[in-house]
Amino acid sequence: MASVAHPVREGIRGPNIASADVQLPAVRDYEQVDRDIIATLGFTKKWFIGLALAIVAMLCGASAWIYQIYWGLGQAGYEPPVMWGNYIITFVFWVGIGHAGTLISAILYLFRAGFRTSIYRAAEAMTVFAVMTAGLFPIIHIGRPWKFFWLIPYPNWRLLWPNFKSPLVWDVFAISTYLTISTTFLFIGLIPDFAVLRDKETNPTRKRIYSILSLGWRNSDREWRHFAKAYLFLAAFSTPLVLSVHSVVSFDFAMGLTPGWHASIFPPYFVAGAIFSGFAMVWTITIPMRKWFRLEHYITLNHLDATAKVVLFTSMVVGCAYLIEFFIAWYSSVRPEQEFFWNRVFGQWWWAAWIMLLCNMALPMSLWSQKLRRNPTWLFVLSLFINLGMWFERFVIVVPSLSHEFEPWQWGGYTPSWIDMAFLVGSFGWFFMWFLLFVKQMPVMAIMELKEIVTPRFKNTHGHGGHH
Amino acid sequence: MSTEAGTGVKRREFLKILGATGATTAVVGCSSEKVGKLIPYVASPDNTVPGVSQYYATTCRECAAACGVLAEVRDGRPIKLEGNPEHPMNRGAICATGLSAVQGLYNPDRYRSPMVREGNALKPTTWDKALELLAQKIGEAKSKGQAGNVVFVNQHESGTFPGFLDQWLSANGMPNHLSVDSTAPVATIAANQKAYGAAWPQLDFGAAKLVVSFGADFLDGWGHSVPQQLDWADARAKITDAPRLVYVGARRSLTGLNADQWIPAKPGSEMALCAALTGAGTAQAASDASGVAVGTIEALAKAIADAGNGVMAICGVTGSDAVECATMVADINKKAGSVGTTIKPASGHAGYAGLASYADLAAAVKAMDAGSVPLAFLRGANPAHTMPKSAGFAAAFAKVGFKVAFTAVPDETSQLADLILPDNHWLESWGDAAGANGQLGLQQPTLEPVFDTRATSDVLIALAKKDQALAAKYNVADYRSWYISKFPGGGSAFTTALTKAQVSSGPLVPTSGRTLAATAMPAAAGNGDFFVHVFPSPTLGDGAGANKPWLQELPDPVSKIAWQSWVEVHPSTAKKLGIKEGTQLTIETAAGKVTAPAYIYMGVRPDTVAIALGQGHTAYGRFAQNIGVNAYDLVPAGWDAAGGLAIGNLKAKVTVGTDNSPLVTTEGSARQHGRGIGQAMPIGVLLGTEQENDEHHHEIPGLPSQDFKKGLQSPVAADAQGEFANPKSKDTGMYDPEHSSKMESRRWAMTIDLARCTGCSACVTACYSENNIPTVGAPYQGRALSPTNWDERPGANIIKGREMAWIRLERYYEGNDNTENEFSPDFDTRFVPMMCQHCGNAPCEPVCPVYATYHSPDGLNVQVYNRCVGTRYCSNNCPYKVRYFNWFGYGEPERRQYAWPEPMHWSLNPDVTVRGKGVMEKCTFCVQRIREAEHRAKAEGREVNADEFTTACAQACPSRAIIFGDAADENWTVSKLAYDRRAYHVFEELNAYTAVVYLKKVNYPAPASPAKA
Amino acid sequence: MQGVLGVFHHLDSTVSAIEELKKKKLGDVTVYSPTIRHELDDAIAGPNSVVRRYTLIGGLLGVSFGYWIAIWSSDYWPLVTGGKAIASWIPYTIIGFEVMVLVGCLATVAGMFINSRIPRLTTTVGYDDRFSAGHFGVFIECDANKASQAEDLLRHAGAEEVRREA
Repeated sequence: MASVAHPVREGIRGPNIASADVQLPAVRDYEQVDRDIIATLGFTKKWFIGLALAIVAMLCGASAWIYQIYWGLGQAGYEPPVMWGNYIITFVFWVGIGHAGTLISAILYLFRAGFRTSIYRAAEAMTVFAVMTAGLFPIIHIGRPWKFFWLIPYPNWRLLWPNFKSPLVWDVFAISTYLTISTTFLFIGLIPDFAVLRDKETNPTRKRIYSILSLGWRNSDREWRHFAKAYLFLAAFSTPLVLSVHSVVSFDFAMGLTPGWHASIFPPYFVAGAIFSGFAMVWTITIPMRKWFRLEHYITLNHLDATAKVVLFTSMVVGCAYLIEFFIAWYSSVRPEQEFFWNRVFGQWWWAAWIMLLCNMALPMSLWSQKLRRNPTWLFVLSLFINLGMWFERFVIVVPSLSHEFEPWQWGGYTPSWIDMAFLVGSFGWFFMWFLLFVKQMPVMAIMELKEIVTPRFKNTHGHGGHH
Repeated sequence: MSTEAGTGVKRREFLKILGATGATTAVVGCSSEKVGKLIPYVASPDNTVPGVSQYYATTCRECAAACGVLAEVRDGRPIKLEGNPEHPMNRGAICATGLSAVQGLYNPDRYRSPMVREGNALKPTTWDKALELLAQKIGEAKSKGQAGNVVFVNQHESGTFPGFLDQWLSANGMPNHLSVDSTAPVATIAANQKAYGAAWPQLDFGAAKLVVSFGADFLDGWGHSVPQQLDWADARAKITDAPRLVYVGARRSLTGLNADQWIPAKPGSEMALCAALTGAGTAQAASDASGVAVGTIEALAKAIADAGNGVMAICGVTGSDAVECATMVADINKKAGSVGTTIKPASGHAGYAGLASYADLAAAVKAMDAGSVPLAFLRGANPAHTMPKSAGFAAAFAKVGFKVAFTAVPDETSQLADLILPDNHWLESWGDAAGANGQLGLQQPTLEPVFDTRATSDVLIALAKKDQALAAKYNVADYRSWYISKFPGGGSAFTTALTKAQVSSGPLVPTSGRTLAATAMPAAAGNGDFFVHVFPSPTLGDGAGANKPWLQELPDPVSKIAWQSWVEVHPSTAKKLGIKEGTQLTIETAAGKVTAPAYIYMGVRPDTVAIALGQGHTAYGRFAQNIGVNAYDLVPAGWDAAGGLAIGNLKAKVTVGTDNSPLVTTEGSARQHGRGIGQAMPIGVLLGTEQENDEHHHEIPGLPSQDFKKGLQSPVAADAQGEFANPKSKDTGMYDPEHSSKMESRRWAMTIDLARCTGCSACVTACYSENNIPTVGAPYQGRALSPTNWDERPGANIIKGREMAWIRLERYYEGNDNTENEFSPDFDTRFVPMMCQHCGNAPCEPVCPVYATYHSPDGLNVQVYNRCVGTRYCSNNCPYKVRYFNWFGYGEPERRQYAWPEPMHWSLNPDVTVRGKGVMEKCTFCVQRIREAEHRAKAEGREVNADEFTTACAQACPSRAIIFGDAADENWTVSKLAYDRRAYHVFEELNAYTAVVYLKKVNYPAPASPAKA
Repeated sequence: MQGVLGVFHHLDSTVSAIEELKKKKLGDVTVYSPTIRHELDDAIAGPNSVVRRYTLIGGLLGVSFGYWIAIWSSDYWPLVTGGKAIASWIPYTIIGFEVMVLVGCLATVAGMFINSRIPRLTTTVGYDDRFSAGHFGVFIECDANKASQAEDLLRHAGAEEVRREA
């Protein structure tokens, strides 16, 4: 019987991989997994302080928004012809971050990359909250935010529909689909873990909440079978979705004929950048987490090492894209293009461009050294630099392009105002508020999947090697 | 223009309208702080249709030219001024200053009632009290026998009123009034009178072959800019035998930039040059004095000789030797025998009759200072601002027994008065003005006074009535009835004449002609290593225009700076002294000093700095106060032989400040980087003597043919232009060629002839007026720099690049690339009016997520304001950058950025939406005019006639550079011009297939280049 | 429903119990496990999940709706923008794709819920909290007379605890 192997079944079987880099030698049995993960829940003083800070930051953004809606967008730093600024930059920044989660949980799932197991839950939650943050910015950015729903196709008595040729409408579809799917994906993965919490919980109210969330999950073979299948298909759908979402975001620029935007390389370039920044944010979040929650033996150095390799790779892809842009500008022999790219690096925007190149191209090269790949402190520091660099990448794409277009008479500059800054701070507050609320209510690691790579108990150990 | 235009309004009906409008506008006027009436009357006069404009012909009084204008009156309120096409002088054109008159009319800072001084403050009072007080003061002056010392200073005006005024004064035993105009070229006038026997002969550019201008800025306001510009542009449009222009002067003004050659003579050296040209002196001497190469001078002399009687030499020099210089310039004409051909004294302009000089005014001030003046009247003139500080006007004025101002606006002078009897705006009053060729332009009110003001003429009559001695003499109801009594043919003739607002006659009452003669009193030249060139601003004049936001917002045609004073410095000087754009420079002359940011300009001599008059008001309302500096502070009180204030040829010390303040400029880059926005063609190419080298042509592989398709339609399938639409595409509805609207058969388009455009920018202001474009530069319109602190720099929004001008005038320089290191006068200027190009394949359209901008079947790129959500993607994708965003609620009265403070919003055009906060806007090709014409045609059961109507910019353009129409119908002028040899699209390589076609500028060789000689 | 529940501590004994039960055909067997193990899948050798059909149908519905709404609404009120075709199907592919993913995924989830009978209000008979932690469970649905046989079998296979559920 054991020999009956069905190809599709092979597929369904999930990542029971035994490659050395995903072993959890310090984890003895299933019960320990439960203990360790449940230990991360429950409130602490530090946590309350963090949450308070996040909420304050969020409120500063919220009040800035009310102020801006009352007075008009003129309060922001816009300086025509730079009609897009901080809001779009920050929008793309957060969408980009929102890419790691689904990449880790879907693409790496299909690739059987075992190192995803211990980080994917946190990454997925990060994705959902990042997209929730990003989703706000297009609304903040438009001149009449109270009319944002006109971008959504809904039957209305005016019989007006959005212009499906507009990249902004593609955005609406891509972002909302992405938010829905990644939320679903997160929840589906959580169901068995809710069941665990339900069965462990003693406090009746919390137990009740968890039982509702677990939808009466009972770990039966039928449930597992459909669960595995559904998970596989969700992964299969999410994979092209991840790639499409940032491609669509890149269309906002690539579809314009603005010099510096009008480039066919944008979709792959943006996707790589998104993964790059997403993994950086995963580090920013998980490295402190593994320390404070004492999860070092779940997120092992091997795992970090593996993610570092992904970052190194995407960094090189992004760097390559930067260089190709210059080549194309030269090769196109279109004068505005050439002058624009010169201006980007040696002209009025040199500082932004060089921050970008330093943080995204130069510093990640340090990851060629295994020592640094296995040094959590360095990875954390590097992740901050990469986040900064990726924000500036979007700055360099949005602002210099608009400030130096075809019409020299309308060349200009751009300086963000205090309002812009308030929104930037607010966005981080909003994001971390949700994340902090998440980490203390729900398992930050997929208990069920951890158990897959933990050796179960055997009566006669010689019979089974444990892993396949 | 509407069919009601200029149609005779019967006197009865006319009075009805006034009566009816009056009844309620008066109410509104008195209490305009409190209520804004939706409509000025409930029962409409029987010949008015609500929502349909009426046009009243009247005469513009903004400058001495006295152009004929039509006031577009909608529901009882004038909303726009347009040139009167039947007027021989301006032929339908109008300048920015004239257009802005409505903002003078509806200016929120006007005196709203008579004011009387109580202690240090001016307090509102009633007309009865005010007149009582004044009558008493006059009585005192008479009884004391001091009537002879009374001074009446009037802003110079021509026509009947000056005579009427002098009659009144003499009846009261008072001396004639002083008619002052601080920007009038008195020296030239005096010289003209001597040389030609006419104060202002007609300048016939059509007959000219070579125009030599010695600082005579006939395109920036010297003389009568609109008629001069019309003649100039028409003459230049003859292309092949167009007159060539040589400009001599230390600074290259707008006129200079339109010249084929600039000869940068040292200030004050014009005399020497003339001497050389008339043979009275040697070229060498002239060269030594002026720093101009001998070869150039000789070449110029030769060019003048070659031109024969086609020479037109004109002089606008403002130094203390101005009269002598102007006389010598006249000699050049005499010598060439061009008096009568290019200079036509016979058909001169009478606008300067009775003009008093600065010297006359200075004498009056002297008398005031002596304390011998019991009573002084001021009307319009603003000596406290336009006289040099050293003249000590304020101090002298304070010594006058009783000071009366008829001025309508609280300016520096009227603030010093004891009694203010605010005059009506000229759009509110009866009157006339002497124009060209013995024509008398009639002026009629277009609405009841906005505020509780009265025409000075009526006030004078009322005063006379209070005096038994005079009552009999002035036995008339008001000035109008007095006027009609004098009018040849009486009332009926008058009413008929009003419909044209033109009669062939002189002023009804003669003015005591004054000959501009004085003994020159040169001021101390001062010392310092720089010359300072002070010149009247083309937009603000001597400052009279500064309280009109349209004129403040309109960038100076040369520097492109608005809402600011600036000092022009040559790049090489700037490099030497380490001056950057915006560096604060302090200019110090013998008379005083001013500090303003530097503007680096290659059109000024390296040893000269230039600064414009017009700013630096300390009073004069919210739009003028505390903006820039008053350049009169640099001018010492000295005058030329005609008594004109000598503002030229001053020496100054220049101190480079440490701090830097951003220039309020609309200029991004002054160079086009070879992108072919403003293209030019050497005359040789048109004559076939030269090969064309297309200066910007990039060969891009795979670029489709750029040949213009019929009706400028794009060759791209599924374009809105049905003829080329993809037959399989489901274009239906209005895009169907069979659709009842027949819109599909049209393609609204525009041609702009850069050979005609002088860069005067009248089109810009016309657009502001027609399309309710908000001005955004006022000091209170800035953004918040912190929650509590607002950016209150004048033009703060413009520094942020947020100006809203739907049409802008780009001014690009060509050549002179090494100007930081060496001074060369040879550079070419391209003026490019740039507005929405209404592309056939508009890049802005497909990116809009909500169809707020789309392509109409008749080729318009439509912007639907109330569908716009403000993503601003369209603007990002517009290569021409002609879309403008409402960053603030400029149209919301409750916002501090409100652009039309009560009652200025009365000038809004009801046909055009005032755009809300957060929406995009842009040039619509005046779609409201298109639809009006279509509807009118439909109502009259006919097709729209070719060239039946045009856009606001084209209508105003004083050089007729802009032509609008249907390119798909060969009867329209535009459809012929679009295929001119000089035609091109801007950025054609982007395949936008624009509806705006530019005709290349034509460049002529320098007439006086030594090489040629 | 009634039956016998065996609680196992070891994976291999669970597997052997399942294999025995399948031979004996005492009744429907339900296996509980804290996570997915191949050993169990192989032993149970259950039918293939039908969730994929939901996915397919959902995806097809989605993509056709996406294209339809875009094309229909463009043609319903034709407005020319930038000289592009009124209904430009190429860019509409993006709409089609996104809606396909959206509806496809939601259908998949629905399929999973329907087939694994969740959400349910109770965990019902034959469940034990330990199954979510570290233990394995085998539940045989059978009547009383077969029950004792099942109990023996489970005990023999190495069940820690065997109890009757009713």
